[in-house]
Amino acid sequence: MTELLTIRNLGVAYGGLLAVDDVELVIHANEVMGLIGPNGAGKTTTIDAICGFIPHAVGTIALGGQAIQQLAPHERARSGLVRTFQSVELFDDLTVRENLVVAAQAPRWYSLVFDAVRPNRARSFTAVDRAIELTEIAALSTLRPNELSHGQRRIVGVARALAASPALVLLDEPAAGLDPQETERLGALIHRLPSEGIGVLLVDHDMALVLEVCDRITVLDFGRVIASGTPDEIRSNDVVIAAYLGSSSE
Amino acid sequence: MSYIENALSGLQGGAVIAALAIGLVLTFRASNVINLAHGAIGMYSAYVYFGLRNFKLASTELGGDLVLPIIGAPSKVHLLDRPTASSAFLVAIAIAIGLGALLYGFVFRPLRSAPPLARVVASLGVFLYLQSVMNVRVKEIGAGALSLQLESLLPQGVVRIGSAKVPTAAFALAGLVIACAVALGVLFRFTRFGLATRAAAEQERGAILTGISPNRLGVFNWMLASGLAGVSVILITGVQQKIDPTETSLLIVPALAAALLGRLDGFGLTTVAGLAIGMTQGAVSWFQLRASLPSWMPNGGLAQAVPLIVILAAISLRGSSLPNRAALLERQLPESPVPKHPVLWTSLLFVGATVALFTLDAQWRLAIVVSIIAGFIGLASVVVTGYVGQISLAQYAFAGLAAFGTAKLAIQGLPFPFAPIVAIAITVFVGILMGLPAVRVRGMTLAVATIAAAVAIEQLVFASSSLTGLESPPRPRLFGIDLGFTATGDNNFRAAFGMLALVLLCAAIIVVANLRRSATGLRWLAVRGNERAAAAAGIDVSRTKLSAFAVSALLAGIGGSLLAYESPSLSSQQFMVVGALAVLALCYLGGIASISGALMAGVLASGGVLTQLQGGNTGNASSYQFAVSGLLLVVVAVLYPDGVIAGLRNAITRWSKHAGKNTPTAGTQSTRVAS
Ligand SMILES: Nc1ncnc2c1ncn2[C@@H]1O[C@H](COP(=O)(O)OP(=O)(O)O)[C@@H](O)[C@H]1O
Ligand SMILES: [Mg+2]
Repeated sequence: MTELLTIRNLGVAYGGLLAVDDVELVIHANEVMGLIGPNGAGKTTTIDAICGFIPHAVGTIALGGQAIQQLAPHERARSGLVRTFQSVELFDDLTVRENLVVAAQAPRWYSLVFDAVRPNRARSFTAVDRAIELTEIAALSTLRPNELSHGQRRIVGVARALAASPALVLLDEPAAGLDPQETERLGALIHRLPSEGIGVLLVDHDMALVLEVCDRITVLDFGRVIASGTPDEIRSNDVVIAAYLGSSSE
Repeated sequence: MSYIENALSGLQGGAVIAALAIGLVLTFRASNVINLAHGAIGMYSAYVYFGLRNFKLASTELGGDLVLPIIGAPSKVHLLDRPTASSAFLVAIAIAIGLGALLYGFVFRPLRSAPPLARVVASLGVFLYLQSVMNVRVKEIGAGALSLQLESLLPQGVVRIGSAKVPTAAFALAGLVIACAVALGVLFRFTRFGLATRAAAEQERGAILTGISPNRLGVFNWMLASGLAGVSVILITGVQQKIDPTETSLLIVPALAAALLGRLDGFGLTTVAGLAIGMTQGAVSWFQLRASLPSWMPNGGLAQAVPLIVILAAISLRGSSLPNRAALLERQLPESPVPKHPVLWTSLLFVGATVALFTLDAQWRLAIVVSIIAGFIGLASVVVTGYVGQISLAQYAFAGLAAFGTAKLAIQGLPFPFAPIVAIAITVFVGILMGLPAVRVRGMTLAVATIAAAVAIEQLVFASSSLTGLESPPRPRLFGIDLGFTATGDNNFRAAFGMLALVLLCAAIIVVANLRRSATGLRWLAVRGNERAAAAAGIDVSRTKLSAFAVSALLAGIGGSLLAYESPSLSSQQFMVVGALAVLALCYLGGIASISGALMAGVLASGGVLTQLQGGNTGNASSYQFAVSGLLLVVVAVLYPDGVIAGLRNAITRWSKHAGKNTPTAGTQSTRVAS
């Protein structure tokens, strides 16, 4: 198996607090990796650091063997590392489809001039159409984010990430606030992504979902990796039960 | 060693900068607004003081008249008989304090959590109002700057340090402001009031927990800040023997630099920064006076550029190209509707304006051209502020660059289309250059940085002696057609030039509409909405903002080039930052996020179509025009913090919801909630 994302010695400090401490994480192509841990364990901070949102993060991050820690967030996104946000964060001024279109298209140096003259020139939106199809949001495409339900907004957030043609999507609590049917559909979608050539890093508190769709799971506590393995190994790991499953019933 | 002498004398300016900066910190912490009118408050109370003293050195023969800054009211009322310096001083400070309380209560407290643009616009409104109403008053009461003999309340004399002679007043002022800073530091560190204010700056609830109402805190901080502004401006105007409604109000610019250096928090660093800026300005002005400067260096205004350099440095050190996770998402700008039928509307505008240009008289043709040029500045604001959410106040400075560039190049012999093209290209280049640091800051801080940039361009370029009083360029000609604006008699303000301006404006409208509808426009709005999410979606936020700065500079540049051919001669007065404030404000009235807002700004602009409709430029009404638009701005910002158009739209939504209750078709209504 080829290593898609390789993280070594990842660290993030906020003042004296080590939010992420010496994290090692390898995600293979065509794999769904779970990242779990109690609130404040450093999951979101890990995603922030991987995607370049924390300039002072230390450690090495390689995507497909290429070191990317010098790249800006948008460059990491364009090279295939695309995230969603725990708080969704859609573009409220754009329709659902437009939300996906901006993620799908990287501008060229001449775009400004072309757009000024021919705003509607033919562009292929296969990535957008595919993302809409996968997430089954065709009915929403002309609506604006503030016309959507919470669950719909979350799915659109995932769709926007998929529209960017990612090699790896990093989903930050995509199932938070979804109803059981929506969660089930999301699970099916995540399960399907590896066959579309997309790796997944899934952060979520819904243990049923995580244990079901993930190939492997990494457990964080106080910024450190305390366990890593298949869902079965994690389920029966005493350290994990003590630190997380047992103490928190989320 | 006379540059040391100059630097030390600069302490007196530095002390005022520091005092005003301390006031900015106070009001910012109390109400989350960078009060751009802070210098204007000090300016007004100085006029109150010198008005009571009748602008005469120690004269108690006359005086006792209070200058009223109220449109429609008499210019002054008699308040005291034979006021002494101290009674006049007390009255002036009391009035400054009262003004601060009024502004907080009626303007800035209601706007505490309004969008930053509303807060900027409101404080611009207050600035414009005070500044322009006092400009009118000064003429009425015969206090033009030349005739004044202002009394200084500070010790006269000089102190000798080695061979340097430094006015005692410089040390007195610096000592006063340092004492103030220390006193405030003690007050804020050790009293319940201070703790509560600091807690309130973090979070309103924090203050409530300490048991002091945030309103009482706010008003007290505003009174403190305004009183301090009054004291410091009265003292410095007395020392420098110079007071002017506009110039004195613009003391705010270096004060902003000092406050930004102090991170708008804490008095120590702010005070040191203020004093240091003053001393640097003093030292720089000494270098300026020496003839040995290389000829390419601007000979005027270098000292005024110091704050800009300071602000840029502060931004580069402190800013970041993305806001951090903890940063509150500021409330949005008004909705930006997609232009529906731009070609149709632009054609209608073209036909209407063409008919007007060829049938109406010369004054009308002039008014139309003035409106078209203001429309360009408006479009520039709509792109950068409305579409991308970056509050920029440098549009007029860019227009000025292009205007002076065009005139200079054309006079030196570059033929017609090339002189403006080169000048506009240079303007776009400068726009991008200014954008490079500007992409690292946002909201209020960006507004401040662009004001500083505008003032610096104004002082460095427009005030330079090789440009002032520049004649208008030779008549533009294209393919043998005379496109010049002036002619003799009734033919003056020729329609041919109007058509040139109109064609360019229509093209610009189509281009802006196209950009808004294209992928570029989507990226602009995405960045405006959420920079972090935009970066996560693969959008290069800095480059996206830069593209908007470039387009904006291009539009302002075209407007400026037209202005070069329109005006009989160019002066730096035409491009004062105040003008840019007015246009931004007018766009805000019309809807900053739509093209119609820009066109509305053009119509409303001073000397434009609306002025002509009201009876032309001859009436007395226009002397109050800035003051009225300032007042209007404040009122609109308070009543409709999201802009008039958004306010109307919300009202319509509410009305239709209300009506919808009675009809069974309610289900088809938009469920969109006004945010
Ligand atoms: N910008 C920040 N400044 C200071 N501390 C932070 C910041 N962001 C996160 N933290 C801290 O880092 C730790 C990890 O947070 P986070 O990654 O959000 O946890 P999780 O997503 O696992 O719930 C928490 O203790 C949090 O308080
Ligand atoms: Mg989290």
